[in-house]
Amino acid sequence: MSFLYDDGHMAIATESRRVLDARMAKDRLLNLLEQVGHYDEVFWQTAMEQGWTALAIPEEYGGLGLGLIELGLVAQATGAHTAGAPFLTVGYGAARGLLHGTDESLKEEWLPQLASGEKIATVAFADASAPLPPESSVRFENGMLSGTKNAVVGGVRADVALVWAQHGEEPALFLADLSQVSRNPVNSFDNSRLYADLVFDGTPARLVAHGAARQIALETLAAMAIVSAHEQLGGAEELLMMARDYALTRRAFGQPIGSFQSIKHKIAELYGLVELARANCIHAAASDGRENYLLAAADARISATEAYDIAARDCTQIHGGIGVTWEQGLHLHMRRARSLAIEQGNLLFWEDLLVEQMTGVAA
Amino acid sequence: MTDYDSYRAKARAWLQSMAGEFGMEARRGLSEEQDLALGRRYLAKRYDAGYGGIHLPVEFGGQGRSHVEKVIFETEEMGFGMPIVYFSISLGMPVPIIIRFVEDREWVRERVVKALRGEEIWCQLFSEPACGSDLAGLRTRAEQDGNGWKINGQKLWTSWAQYADYGIMVARTDPTVPKHKGLTYFWVDMHAPGVEVRPIKLAEGGHDVNEVFLDDVRLEDAQRMSPVGGGFGVAMATLMIERYAATDSNGFGPSLDNLVELARGLEVNGKPALQDGRVRSAIARNHAMRAGLDSITTRAMLSMQAGKEPGPEGALNKLFSVRSRQKLSEFAIDLQGAKGVSFDPDGLFTEDWTTSWIAASTGRIAGGADEMLLNTIAEKILGLPQDHRPDKGIPFNQIPA
Repeated sequence: MSFLYDDGHMAIATESRRVLDARMAKDRLLNLLEQVGHYDEVFWQTAMEQGWTALAIPEEYGGLGLGLIELGLVAQATGAHTAGAPFLTVGYGAARGLLHGTDESLKEEWLPQLASGEKIATVAFADASAPLPPESSVRFENGMLSGTKNAVVGGVRADVALVWAQHGEEPALFLADLSQVSRNPVNSFDNSRLYADLVFDGTPARLVAHGAARQIALETLAAMAIVSAHEQLGGAEELLMMARDYALTRRAFGQPIGSFQSIKHKIAELYGLVELARANCIHAAASDGRENYLLAAADARISATEAYDIAARDCTQIHGGIGVTWEQGLHLHMRRARSLAIEQGNLLFWEDLLVEQMTGVAA
Repeated sequence: MTDYDSYRAKARAWLQSMAGEFGMEARRGLSEEQDLALGRRYLAKRYDAGYGGIHLPVEFGGQGRSHVEKVIFETEEMGFGMPIVYFSISLGMPVPIIIRFVEDREWVRERVVKALRGEEIWCQLFSEPACGSDLAGLRTRAEQDGNGWKINGQKLWTSWAQYADYGIMVARTDPTVPKHKGLTYFWVDMHAPGVEVRPIKLAEGGHDVNEVFLDDVRLEDAQRMSPVGGGFGVAMATLMIERYAATDSNGFGPSLDNLVELARGLEVNGKPALQDGRVRSAIARNHAMRAGLDSITTRAMLSMQAGKEPGPEGALNKLFSVRSRQKLSEFAIDLQGAKGVSFDPDGLFTEDWTTSWIAASTGRIAGGADEMLLNTIAEKILGLPQDHRPDKGIPFNQIPA
């Protein structure tokens, strides 16, 4: 369902961008790249202070009662800065999973803490290369989880995780306290995402949902994918503008390089990809709870991933030598384009899901 | 239900009532002459039903409604395959432009009503052998001849000129000034002495475009629609009208659902084609692209309904949809293996992938080549510089040929 942003939406977009413009610093982000297990605390403080952690959580649980449209706009601003400790997306995913689960006491216990940001939650759905496997290698028995989840986003730091694990014959959703879990941080090309293998070894966990668990997990994953798509869109749009600005100022052969069609057409194509991604993001965010929500999420995810990847590639190319230097920092986007492309399900997953939704034929 | 929703519902109901007589199925097997005659009858009915010239002023025989309603009707009409293609240029550009720029109001009203009823057809005499994208480089000459003008030259790619009664035309009145400044805009009687139309057969087999030879064609000064030397501005205004036209994220080719139905009956490596990863990827990527274009269109309509100018991203539609239709059509042929080589000469490009494929090249050139659309996006939306133009500021007759 497409719609036009209203003044309230525009205020969220402008204000989140303004706050991040004032507080984010490229050098700080560059420093995080070569350290495993560290994230940008300034961003997370900002997120809590601005109420972004509470944005899409219902008011009765201490949130602001807004939804994917508003959270998407904040994510777009974080994407432009490659800001975003990973918790904004997965924290929302965990909260959403809890909300759609059946255990009221879990909601009352955790949602207010997630809304305030005093506790950090993540989501551990994937097993190895499968974003949402039909059967999970992590098992739940006698109230405890055992097994390993690889490269969980925010896994180094999260207090609690929403886990997709095997419960008898069927996988189900569980909430696990991570205080006793051993975490093996992953050295990654985008280290501030805080990837860690979580090794569950008799870890106490509580059942969030079973029976309809796959549908809840899928819809949770779709919600996170829509937030991620907005973040990818923000990154792609920023790269588009950087490419445009550079093409206007950098001169070669007596003219701005933007007057060469090889450059200007690349930038025009990028504009197209960014606008397609934006259109799909707007449609998907407004489709939450409606028919074809998963299809809309897949459209947004696919076009935003494509836009951000190509923007990262082409913006760097347009910058020439300076574009590949550490200090210039375009590689922050290059890295983030790929890490976001993997988090919340890779393209292969979303392409298959889209076709299944559209045709009824599974891969 | 908003007023627009009820307008759409009424339009759809009317179109459904006409589909049996004029729709896709009624047209199968007709010769072009029969189809054109059917189209003329359809336009008369459409006019009588109040759907002709929806956005045109009442005093010129239009309905005096908004662009929104026009686009709503066109969007609904597109799905029925009515025989309207012969009138698309005529009603798209020339008719609104004569309302704006021809002084004899009574004559204009008569022309508009006849064009809306399909009794007369207008064409657009812009492109020439030596100028397509570079419109201002045209060479057709208009020289003063007593109180009027004498035209000599050749136009090319003129859609439906073989059926046209009138044309709008840009010609060069002064070759001694820079190229944009020496042009003047006229209307032409296509039945006047000296006008000769020769259809051109295109690669796909159709011949909707023509060469038009103009040999000492005499015009009255009243046929001039711009100040002398002011023709380029009116030409730009003509091309801007397209902003408010219905779009099709299928690129005027078959729908993605059509591809899915084709694939359902096919196998790859002994497995259903829809289970093949490459097929799934192609479907998914195209779905995402088309959904994006549809969402852009929906938001443009919402903007217009709110009385705002639609965003510039509407410019993406033709570029992205037609280009991807071409690739997807190739893919659909590939998917059928050996069977893919067969060709149905009566195939429709909105239904048949082979016809769609062979006609798609035309779509990427006509009405703004991909490269020109990219230039427009880069320059007008993103503020990038124009290409190097060695002919800039130089009198037309001193530009090296």
